[in-house]
Amino acid sequence: MRIAVQTARCLTKAARIATRAARIALQTALLWLLAAVCNRVATALHVPVPGSILGCAVLFLLLLFRVVPLAWVEAGADWLIAQLLLFFLPPAVGIIQYPALIRADGWRLLLVILTSTALVMAITGAVADAITRRRQRRAHPLAHQALTGRRSG
Amino acid sequence: MMNAFLTQLSDAVSPDLISILSIPLTVSIHAACRRVYRRWRWPLLSPMLTSLVLLAGLLVLLRMPYPRYMAGAHWLSSLLQPATVAFAVPLYRHRRALLDHAPAIGAGLLCGSVMAVISSIGLAHLAGLGDGVARSLAPRSITTPVAMAVAKQIGGNPVLTAVFVIATGILGILVGPWLTRILRLRTPVGRGALMGMGAHGIGTARAFEMGSQEGTLSSLSMVVAALAGVVLIPLLLPWMNIISLH
Repeated sequence: MRIAVQTARCLTKAARIATRAARIALQTALLWLLAAVCNRVATALHVPVPGSILGCAVLFLLLLFRVVPLAWVEAGADWLIAQLLLFFLPPAVGIIQYPALIRADGWRLLLVILTSTALVMAITGAVADAITRRRQRRAHPLAHQALTGRRSG
Repeated sequence: MMNAFLTQLSDAVSPDLISILSIPLTVSIHAACRRVYRRWRWPLLSPMLTSLVLLAGLLVLLRMPYPRYMAGAHWLSSLLQPATVAFAVPLYRHRRALLDHAPAIGAGLLCGSVMAVISSIGLAHLAGLGDGVARSLAPRSITTPVAMAVAKQIGGNPVLTAVFVIATGILGILVGPWLTRILRLRTPVGRGALMGMGAHGIGTARAFEMGSQEGTLSSLSMVVAALAGVVLIPLLLPWMNIISLH
């Protein structure tokens, strides 16, 4: 009797995992199909935008206008985004085809990327932060003053 | 001696088998590196960096030509296509936050995108790097699948771009949190936009460690930066002729 209960419990758990895997696979296939269609459309119409980005915009509009319910794509999309780093790996490994470039320019490349990244981050963060603070001051002058302990200008 | 043995070994195994094996090899190395990072949480142990070094090292050691590896592994990276489409889901989920902070995110990302192109091309020129390398550097602040597509379009090398994107992400999570302190960024919008624009997906993962608001705004910034980059980078590039490109 106990064994039967345990087996049943085990089976339901397996079934739940299998359903989830199947849902992710099916939704991933759906997203893949959308990307493939948008790739075709982008090539056919000579749009200089990658098909996958076009697909992203199309899916956003489909969700916004409730043509596609979120539940149809949610599980697959969350899984794909969580595994994104894994999909980058094969193209990045292509670096082994350029040993001469790494040996000759590796340090200079690293320095350029580091400096440029710091500049991009600094300007983006500073501008976004300044605008947000200004809007907050305008919307809630007293709350802002209380929070920062400063008189707003 | 050892290398001769390894060459013989990799010749003995049929090329097709190796191509098929490249998927489980990549997946297991990545899973192991992820586990190591979760244990110690040290930025230089970022699974992206460690798994790339391990995998590239292994292929070089085994004298496996890249095309033979890619013959199997391209199935894995083809999932980048649906993954890019999937970015619509966080964009839809956080549409309210996007609308609320549209001026700040829009202005910040516009400045960031322009700065990315100008500083990449300008610094590459100063450092004496070639034209092709400079073009491959320009889209490196945006997420890989999109960056590779943009690189192809502007005459860069998508493979180099993929590597530069990852280098950007790793260097970005090293300097990003430090920059937020130096610049005294107090709002989650400023901190999230900084991480998402500067270090795409890798930065977004780090931004979620700062707070859920920072993470959400970073993922939004990453997606919007990719959309903006597709339009802005090819538009800006002809202007860069003045500095360096011929």
